[in-house]
Amino acid sequence: MSESAIAVTGLRKSFGPKEAVAGIDLEIAAGSLAGLVGPNGAGKTTSLSMMTGLLRPDGGRVLINGLDMWADPPAAKAVIGVVPAEPRLFERLSGEELLEYAGRLRGMPATEARSRAKQLLDVLDLTEDAKRLVADYSTGMRKKAMLGCALIHNPSVLFLDEPLEGVDPISADTIRRLLTRFVASGSTVLFSSHVMELVEQVCDHVSIIDKGRIVISGTTDEVRGGKTLQQAFVDLVGSRANDQEVLSWLGSSSS
Amino acid sequence: MARLLVQLKLRLLLNALRASSGAKVAFILSTLCAALVAGGVFYLLSILGGGIAAADLTTAIFSVFGLAWLIAPVVVFGLDSTLDPATLALYPLRTRPLAVGLLAASATGAWPVANVVGLLGVTIGLARGALGVLIAVLAVLLQVLFCITLARFVTTGLAGMLRSRRGKDFAALLILPIFAVYEGFIQVVAADGSLTAASFGGIDRWLRWTPPGLAVHAILDASTGHAGTALLLLALLAGIIVVLGVAWIRSLRHALITTDTSTQSAVHGSALPFGRYGLRGTVAARFWLYQRREPAAFIYWGITLVIMGVVGIRAALTPDYLGGLLASAAAGGAFTGAFHANAIGMSGPGFGLEAAALNGRRALRAYFSGQNLAIGVIAVPLVTAVCFGLAAVAKHPLAGFLGLAVGLAGIGAGLAAANLFSVALAFPVEKRAGTPMPRPTSGHNGAGFASWFFTVIGVGTGVTPVILAVVFTQSAPAAIRLPLLVLGAAGYGLALAWGGVRGAAVAAEPKLPELAQIAIQSAL
Repeated sequence: MSESAIAVTGLRKSFGPKEAVAGIDLEIAAGSLAGLVGPNGAGKTTSLSMMTGLLRPDGGRVLINGLDMWADPPAAKAVIGVVPAEPRLFERLSGEELLEYAGRLRGMPATEARSRAKQLLDVLDLTEDAKRLVADYSTGMRKKAMLGCALIHNPSVLFLDEPLEGVDPISADTIRRLLTRFVASGSTVLFSSHVMELVEQVCDHVSIIDKGRIVISGTTDEVRGGKTLQQAFVDLVGSRANDQEVLSWLGSSSS
Repeated sequence: MARLLVQLKLRLLLNALRASSGAKVAFILSTLCAALVAGGVFYLLSILGGGIAAADLTTAIFSVFGLAWLIAPVVVFGLDSTLDPATLALYPLRTRPLAVGLLAASATGAWPVANVVGLLGVTIGLARGALGVLIAVLAVLLQVLFCITLARFVTTGLAGMLRSRRGKDFAALLILPIFAVYEGFIQVVAADGSLTAASFGGIDRWLRWTPPGLAVHAILDASTGHAGTALLLLALLAGIIVVLGVAWIRSLRHALITTDTSTQSAVHGSALPFGRYGLRGTVAARFWLYQRREPAAFIYWGITLVIMGVVGIRAALTPDYLGGLLASAAAGGAFTGAFHANAIGMSGPGFGLEAAALNGRRALRAYFSGQNLAIGVIAVPLVTAVCFGLAAVAKHPLAGFLGLAVGLAGIGAGLAAANLFSVALAFPVEKRAGTPMPRPTSGHNGAGFASWFFTVIGVGTGVTPVILAVVFTQSAPAAIRLPLLVLGAAGYGLALAWGGVRGAAVAAEPKLPELAQIAIQSAL
């Protein structure tokens, strides 16, 4: 196995009495496209926030390319890019200004930041909207703009939280191709999702999280165990279907 | 339909009592204010008596209510869901019953009731005899119906725009002229007692044929025995309401099938400015663009300008102009600081992007000084212009330099306090519908108040040495005193600001993740 790009040990976080993340261990090899899947409220976003230096953990360790995120946050943050579930953008900048700003914040010369911003906007199919304010962007456009901000400094590890939520199929395909190309160059991607088909299609490594714990982690084939990922997920996490009796009135055959 | 929408409006109003404590207090205060306005206006109109002088004041009051109905729904558009046709566009509703229901919903609530009750004061004041009282009741009801229909017509016509980002910006900016007129009225007109009933003399001639004027003259004519003329005037008013209503229903029909509005406008220019100046220039560029594009920034600077003006203008018209001038300059610094004393919370979730790049104390110093540069570029010319403007009004133009000295120290102290409290008392904010400026989220009002209070105290303390220097150097020759005071105060202000930058960087470094979480909680 190649060197770990992401190594998480004993990561914990509680909010009052609620234990959101209950001591997770995770190891993602460099060059992987890894998926972190789980039901709503399983602890995916909290885990990613702690891994990316945005939420201080109660305990545990996060290493990014061997750099300890919580011992030396600036060094670790310098090598990662983050796309949060709710894009964190400056609404009153245009798309073009936003990407340039993200590049310049990372210490890139203005001309380089501008040039990369233009290229990324082109690849992300945002060139026509480059001069519109982000406040006027649709959900999919905002996700793509945030992805551009996360990639502009060419990070070696990219974290994405629900990257395709609310994104149209064309934009989703654009993002998927960009991630595949990014990983092919040796970089690493960890993204959270609850869309099993997507994870099954693109990820070579999958971890399933439920109630703040990693239930299983391994290659996609190992986790599937001969079934579809959806079925393996339901088997591991447990079906919560209880709608058969209470919605008897629903449907055209009922009055 | 009318009953259902009235119930909906009542439920929406009463739900305020189950919302956050801030919303509860706002609801109770608003209801109390409505009761006070109802009682106050009723009393005022009831003591006016008859005659043309009373007609002037009654017409003015009727017109003020009309104007309030015109402006308030635009400003609070997002607060009342029944104002926006888009909320009902999903349902299979016919336009006419919907229109009746919406009118009924508009008439529901403390303020519409206060409007009717207050104006009914004319039944005791302006009206004479049984016919006069009867016509007065009809006139008041028609006047309120006119106001409601007008408000509906305007909000429905503007609904698409008000739902868009640009429209919300526009509605937010309406607060500025309202605030300026209010402050001007309170501080300059009403405060010296020059506002009397005579101030409204002749207004009736101007507003005679407007709907409020028609209502008032119907009462006057009925009270003087001209029943036919009174009925004709009421019929004319009713006709105006019908025309307005038909126009509104057409507009509503159109609005129900055109609910989607997105702003397609683009910005000019192709790049962020200050590319050569590293992280400081980068942050300054972002703050500078926000000062130009964020309506709240316009409002903050507008309020600062208005406050500075009203603090200084009355004194500027007297021989004791200097106190007002210096107080105005200090107020400029205090408001500059107070409006930016939660810069991280006000940056909102975007700060997450910035936090990823703020790697260490040096970068944080660049961050705070960058934002100070963008703010200072606006604050210094603003304070300078107001100080010299007030000095010119006082006919002592050189005194502008004294105000400028205090202003420069105040801006430095304000920026220092803003930087420090942005870290020490950071709190998340949210933009609520109908509120032009972001407010602290529930549970953070204390931090919001504290950052304001301590910033103002900090600026007051910070400018004291400069004020003392101004006072104790009065006998020195102006050619030596003024340059020394201005340059000394500028250096002093810069030193304060730089101290604030350094202190804020030291305080922010260990708590950057916590600050990022606060900013991410902001909803802008």
